[in-house]
Amino acid sequence: MPHAEPVAAVPTDAALIAAWQGGDEQAAAELVRRHARALARFLASAGAPDADLDDLVQETFIRAFRGVDRFRGQCRFRTWLLTIGGNVLKDAVRRARRAKVVPLADELRATDGDPHERAVAGEAEGRLREGLGGLTRMQREVFLLRAQQGLEYDEIAAALGTSPGAARVHYHHAVKRLKEHLS
Amino acid sequence: MNSDELPDAKLQELAQRLGARAAERLDVERTAQAVVTRLREAPRGSVVTRLWLQPAWLKVAATVVLLLGTGAVTRGLWRPQGLAPAGGEATAAGLNDLSTDQLQQLLEIVDHPTDEAAPLYPADASLDDLTAPQLRELLRSLEG
Repeated sequence: MPHAEPVAAVPTDAALIAAWQGGDEQAAAELVRRHARALARFLASAGAPDADLDDLVQETFIRAFRGVDRFRGQCRFRTWLLTIGGNVLKDAVRRARRAKVVPLADELRATDGDPHERAVAGEAEGRLREGLGGLTRMQREVFLLRAQQGLEYDEIAAALGTSPGAARVHYHHAVKRLKEHLS
Repeated sequence: MNSDELPDAKLQELAQRLGARAAERLDVERTAQAVVTRLREAPRGSVVTRLWLQPAWLKVAATVVLLLGTGAVTRGLWRPQGLAPAGGEATAAGLNDLSTDQLQQLLEIVDHPTDEAAPLYPADASLDDLTAPQLRELLRSLEG
């Protein structure tokens, strides 16, 4: 009976984090490759302007890698990364407000400038984006982590420093308000 | 449409589509290389640097500097010329050894009114053993 070729083991996030802590830059690059799109989707949904998305993704990874000693496996690396992304976005919006470049509401609603793409994006998505902009930060992040990333309340709670029950309440508030906005 | 008519599944589907196009446009490989380059250009600071970059440390440090500065100015205004300092240097040197918690404890106590009639702190007491007035006295000694 022929033996199957051994399959190269895919390193876990934990292994890559340990390698990065040991100075392996390529481990950091692999973590970026693995999670950048999910992070970008989360940030874009949370109101990041498309023009700033790449910068925000980079800044999130930089903060995460520099603070990786604080990650103790309380949730998945990606979940932890998304919460850092939420902080990075909040800081960016605050800086934009201080600089009076774009009002907050407009900033949160900003999407790609291409009218064709905006049309294709569809009215419902646009309205959902608007609705998300009207939620509290906690409601918005809980909703996106649950509805978009498919996380359980336990993990959302661990990442956001709240209880699973509170996360559930935030989610239901968010859903209720979004449904009202979309109706 | 009533808000209850929109099923969660529909909302989830919309949420999952949201941001997908923007994410697809991201050049992941370029982002990965940019992150690595930035990490290389500004490597992680030393443990001490990172500790001092913590907001709590910054607040504590700023407050202590402010208190010491205020004390120095007050001393300059009110102390008779030629009077020797009251040994504050030795205590100030010990301040560097305090933990964040201890410094915050000290600052919290300083912010609250205390019983002026309390005795001075014993020479061999640790910071944890000191009462509010004693800590106040300690702070005064730091201020000279």
